[in-house]
Order: sequence, then structure tokens, then C-alpha cells
Amino acid sequence: MSLAQTPHPSTAHPASADPGLDSRRRRNERRAAPIRAFLLRHPGVVRLGVVILILLVWEIAARWFMDPLFISPPSRVFSSLGALWDTSGVPAALRITFFELAVAFAISVAIGLVVGLAIGLQPFARRSLMPIVLLAYGLPQITILPLFILFFGIGPASKIAFGVTHGVFPIVITIVAGVQNLKPILLTSARSMGASRWQTFRYVIFPHMIPSFFAGMRLGMSGVLLGVLLAELYVSTAGIGYFTQMFTENFDPTKLFGLITTLAAMAILLNEIVRRAENRFSRWR
Amino acid sequence: MARRTERMQRLASRAVQIGFLLALFVLWYLATNVWDVNHLLLPNPVAVWQQFLDVLRSGAYLPDLRVTASEFVAAFALAITSGSIVGYFVSRSRYLIRVFEPLFAGIFSVPIILFLPLYVLFFGLGMESKIALGATISFFPITLATIAGFGNVDRTLVTAARSMGASDYQMFRYVLVPAALPVIMGGLRIGFTIALLSILGSETIASLAGLGHHIVELAEDMDMSRMFAYIVFVVAMVALLNFAVSYLEARGRRHR
Amino acid sequence: MSAGNVAVCIKNVSHQFGEAGEAQHVRALADTSLDIARGELLCLIGPSGCGKSTLLNIVGGLLPPTAGSVEVSGRALRGPVPREISFVFQESALFPWNTVIDNVRLGMLFQGVAQAERDKRAKRALEAVGLADFADHYPGQLSGGMRQRAALARALSLETGILLMDEPFGALDEQTRMILGEDLSVLLARAEKTIVFVTHSLGEAVFLADRVAVFSARPGTIKKIIDVDEPHPRKPSFVTSEKFTALRNELYALLHDEIRKAVLESASARGGDGRGNG
Repeated sequence: MSLAQTPHPSTAHPASADPGLDSRRRRNERRAAPIRAFLLRHPGVVRLGVVILILLVWEIAARWFMDPLFISPPSRVFSSLGALWDTSGVPAALRITFFELAVAFAISVAIGLVVGLAIGLQPFARRSLMPIVLLAYGLPQITILPLFILFFGIGPASKIAFGVTHGVFPIVITIVAGVQNLKPILLTSARSMGASRWQTFRYVIFPHMIPSFFAGMRLGMSGVLLGVLLAELYVSTAGIGYFTQMFTENFDPTKLFGLITTLAAMAILLNEIVRRAENRFSRWR
Repeated sequence: MARRTERMQRLASRAVQIGFLLALFVLWYLATNVWDVNHLLLPNPVAVWQQFLDVLRSGAYLPDLRVTASEFVAAFALAITSGSIVGYFVSRSRYLIRVFEPLFAGIFSVPIILFLPLYVLFFGLGMESKIALGATISFFPITLATIAGFGNVDRTLVTAARSMGASDYQMFRYVLVPAALPVIMGGLRIGFTIALLSILGSETIASLAGLGHHIVELAEDMDMSRMFAYIVFVVAMVALLNFAVSYLEARGRRHR
Repeated sequence: MSAGNVAVCIKNVSHQFGEAGEAQHVRALADTSLDIARGELLCLIGPSGCGKSTLLNIVGGLLPPTAGSVEVSGRALRGPVPREISFVFQESALFPWNTVIDNVRLGMLFQGVAQAERDKRAKRALEAVGLADFADHYPGQLSGGMRQRAALARALSLETGILLMDEPFGALDEQTRMILGEDLSVLLARAEKTIVFVTHSLGEAVFLADRVAVFSARPGTIKKIIDVDEPHPRKPSFVTSEKFTALRNELYALLHDEIRKAVLESASARGGDGRGNG
């Protein structure tokens, strides 16, 4: 005796509530200029067009209307990238910055995970310590950047430390929130089935918390980027800060922009990596 | 019984918090007065307090505060105006939203403070570069929130108003703006904080005046106790500002 | 009822939340005693807040009663007994990050079943509830009715003697409830379990139960127990029979006043101190 199943439409959405509208719309689109129709369907292409337009305006303005001491057209910036990377010390500075970012991120994640779990899993710890965490998170850390340099020197240590203090808070806060919003019924259910404390953590709390953990890592990476880059820019006697200072004083916008673009690309790359990891591990949400 | 333990737990939490902060102070005091930590690294808390009082009484903070405050106000005002206008006009078309929203979000994901040297190169070390950078950074959360706010207005409200004969202006004033306001306020809040932090940050890195710059000056002079005093001052100012904004936000919300 | 045939013995159980005199004080359950026979399907029905879910949680060992005791298979109850008692809750208690079959397997892992056996029982349970084709789906991809089938499969796979169900169909629409109710009756006819089933629905109670315990309004206690003398599995034709209508009318008569009482009490609690703080 087999049992009836209630069929359920999968998560696919119908194109529209009114099928007639769809075919009419399609006909109209076909009648309109094919280019326009294509653009309407692909906003990404238009977006690219906007970016290219901005670059063009910048190119024209910088080449013919503005003082080359202050601004440089993108074409020149791009073609000088090679020269920039050949400039003595620049590749080393870039490599050290990347190293600082990676280390600061790793430390932030490690500390953030441990502290986040310790606080999140224990209700009393959460109630006592979370307000302190939030208080520290709200402080304008930029004011103590000079202190960090005084304490840790002008080398990578201070940059890493400043990155960690920026990156660790979002991770702790997101993990605590993630543990918090676990539906109590799931804990009750596990208890009713005889789960031990370890089993409850391993099979219920931990898998629930993974998306929050990755979201926290995404925010943590933004924080680490901010902290490390701020510290690097501040220290003008070594590292990136030395070169930004030098290019500024020498009125070399080409190399300056090239350097900053390289750093921006690094930031985008790192952000993208964390974002993709987050999407991969949050699929059940 | 349950209620008594609840109250005891709340008291216990408070006790832990106060205890924690007290312990920090005690450690600080011990470190400088008893354990002989280098005064060039960690000044005596008593000296810091005295310097703090001196700064307040003498008004030494005033010129720098004026600089920082004007930079902040100008940057934030610029960001609000440009952000809300751009955000509103983008929100009027679903297509424009699909084109520009990811663009703005993408740019915002990079730490824009990175572009400070370019702004300094172009505008100089004066207030203009800080204002320009602060406005640039603050522009994005405000624009994104404006787009989200206006873009997500419940269509039912719009239909209802239109069915009652509302003109375009009336629609904007009495339906769209009130509906979008909470989200926009959220964006303004973020823009506020970001503008403030970016101003302080750019003053720290490349400036001739302002509170951030003064702290750096004191650090370079190794005047540790006065530097700590200024740090406390700035932190207190920021906290006060945040308090004021939260209070206004809460009051605004109560009237909804 | 002879001693060997009693699955659950509830002795003078009452329960309150909070202390007398506090704002959160609620007397959920007044002195209640009941013997549940092995193999019977007992429904608990009553107005909102009458304590039937509280009693179910107490019987399952999830909540220690403030007074009275419960014995399961002759032994005093001190906590959850996963080897003897399994649950189906009203809200979806499936773990959203696991597939359906992993959810079923996980319950047995907690109970301490060996892995090969877990796989075997999981497949069997999913087939019994008709979800064999959806074993690798995530709960988020299923409808409410299918999620509750999966929850039922998980409970069945634990092969306990006692199954406690707390308004398992409460969140579903009427048509789904009807189908699931019929399917449940077929399933349980084969299974020989002791089942305690909490519901709001009069029709559901009469259709499924051997006995229906009717609760009074809060603080709840058992007002009357009605016997439903009809063999399992219950056929759809039972629903339109005179016997069914008579029993349903009897339940209605018993419950109507209690429900009115419960609504009045919750309304006055909400109107509260006249300052609009309810």
C-alpha cells in the first residue's frame, strides 16, 4: 500500500503571472532596434559601458585639459605599470603588503572563531562580554594608529596588528549572532533524540553557524584590508607609504595611480575570494 | 525563583563588565607606577588625566576641533546632497538600478581611503583633500541606501495613492519619502560614521591640521601623556556624537 | 488496565511557569492523572493554553513537572528517553543544512545506532512515508507537508515504542492535513506504537484516536475521556459516518465553553493594565 504524495513545484519561478504579457513583451522587444533590446536584456554590458565612458572622460580631461603634474590619463597609467613594478622596492613593498594582509586575516579568523564560539556558546559570557566587545568595536581605532606604530615599530608587525584589531570584531560579532539565531526547536529536537553535548555542537550548532562564520570572514577581510592599508599609508618611511609619499612629492600621478590601482586590484581579489567561499558554504540557507 | 536568578544573573553580568574595565585601569596603573614599564610606551594614567583636564580647560583643542568639524560637516553635506539625488534618480527605473547598484556596491567594497594620496596630490594637504575624500567615501552608502529605500517602496501604497488621485509631487512627498525614510536613515547613519572616520584617518595620514593630525604630532614629539589625553578626547567626542545621533534616531522612530 | 499494558503512567502531574506573584507566572497544568495503554493512540485536545503541549513535553522527559510524576514502562521518568520515546514537533525540527536522508540518519546517530543499520532504517522509513524520491533534497526545497513527512520518517526510524506528536499538522492547510491524516492512520496501523497526539482539530482527533482526552481551559486538566471504538486503519468513509458525527458533536459540546473561556482570558490578559501595554 503506497501512500499518496503531495506534489510540490520546485523552486523555479514562472516567467510571469500573465503568459500573454510575456509573448507580447517578446514581440515588442524583437520589433525594437535589436541593439536596444540587447542592451535592455544585459545591464552588465551597459555597466561596462558606463565604466568605459568614465575612463574616456578621464582620459580626455587628463590629456588635454588638466595639469599633468596633478592627474594622469588612464592610458599612460596603464602603459607605465611595467615601469612601476620595475621601480626598485615597489614589488617588495607590494609583496610584504600582501603577506601582511594574509597573516592579519589568518590571525583575525583564528582569534575571532575561538572568542566568538567561547562567548556565543555560553549565555552568561555572552551577556557579560558582548557589551564590552561592542563598545570596543565602536571606538574610532584610527586615533590609536600612531600608538601601534610606536609600540610595534614601522615593520610588518604593526600593520598586521592594526589589521587584526580591525578584522577580529566583525568575526566575533557575526559568530555570536549566528549561534544566537539557532531555532530553539532544533536544540530541543536533538535533545529529545538523545544527542550528547558534543554531538549537539558538532551536528547542530556548528553546521548552523557556518554561513555566519563565512559572512563574518567577509566582513573581517574588509576590516583587515582597511587596517593594514591605513597602517601602510601612514608609515612614510617604509613600505607602500614610502612610495605614495615619494610619488606625491615628486608629482608623479602616473606611478601613484598605478600603485594605488595595483593595491585596489589586490583588495578586490581578496574580497572576491572570501565572497565566493561564503557563497559555496551557505548554499542551504 | 526563576525571576530572582534572572535578576542575579543580570547583576552578575554587570559586575563582570565593571570588573573587567576596572581591571584594565588597575593594570594600567600598576604597569606604570609599580612595574616600571617604559614611560615612552605607556604614560602614567594620572599624568594622562592631568593633561586631559589641561586640554579641556585651556581650550587647546579648539583650533583642531574646528578644522576637523568643518571638514566633516562639509564632506557629509556634500555626500548627502549628491547621494540622495543620484540615489533617487537611479531608483526611478528598475533598469537603472540593475545597471548602477552593482557598480556602486562594487566600488564601495574597496577601501576608498586608499585613494587618499591621489586626493592629496590633486588638492594638496589642506582641508579640501579631506573634504573631497570624505564626501567620496560617504557618498556610496548613502546612495545605495537611497536606491534601496525608494526602490523597495511597497507598490500597493503607490497604487492606492494613485487611485486616490495623488499628483507626482504629492506621491513623492506623502508616499515615497515617508516609505523610503527608514532605509535612507540607515544609510545616512553609516555615511555619518564613515565620513567621520575617513576624515580622522586622512588627517592622521596626510594633513597639516585637525585632531587626527595633532595626535600624530604629539606622537612624533613623544609627548605620550598629552597624546593619550587627546586620544581620550577624540574617542569621547565620537562617542558623544554617536549618542546624539542614536537619540535623534530613536526619537524619530517613536513618531512613526 | 493491567499493569503490564500501561505504557505511560501520569500521576498527579501539575506544572507552573514562574513563581506565584510574578508577572510571568502561569499555571499551565492542574492536577492531571492518566494511564496510557500500550499500543493505543491517545489524542489530547483542548483550548489554547490548556497545557496539552506542556503535558506532552513532560511525558517526553523534556520538562520536569513542578509536581507529580510520570512512569514510562514502569520506570520513573527523569529526562529524555531517546530509545523509548520519539517526537514529532509542530514547527519543522529538521536540520536545514542536512538533506532529508541525512536528517533521518542523524537522529539514529544520536540514539546510538550503527551506521549500516542507520542507512537501512532510513531508506525504509522514507519509503514508508512516500519520500523515497526526495531523500537528497534539502528541507528548504520541500513543501510543509513533505517536511512533516520527513520529520515523521525520522521519528519512525528511531523505532521507539512511544511516539509523541505535538500538533504535527498544525501549520498545514486543511487538504494536506486530510491526506496526511489518512496516511498516518494507515502507517500506524502497521506500526504497533503507543502514540500521544496533540491537536486542535476535532475531526482529526476523532479520525485518528482510540481515546480522546478533552482538556479544560487553563489551568488545564482532563475534563473527560471519550472512547472511539473503530478499527484501524480508519477508512475515509468513517469521516462521513453517523458515529463520527456523533463523536465530533460530543467533542464540540465539551470544548465549546472551554474555548470561549480561554479566549476571554487571553483577551483580558492582553487588554491588561489599560495603558495599552499588553
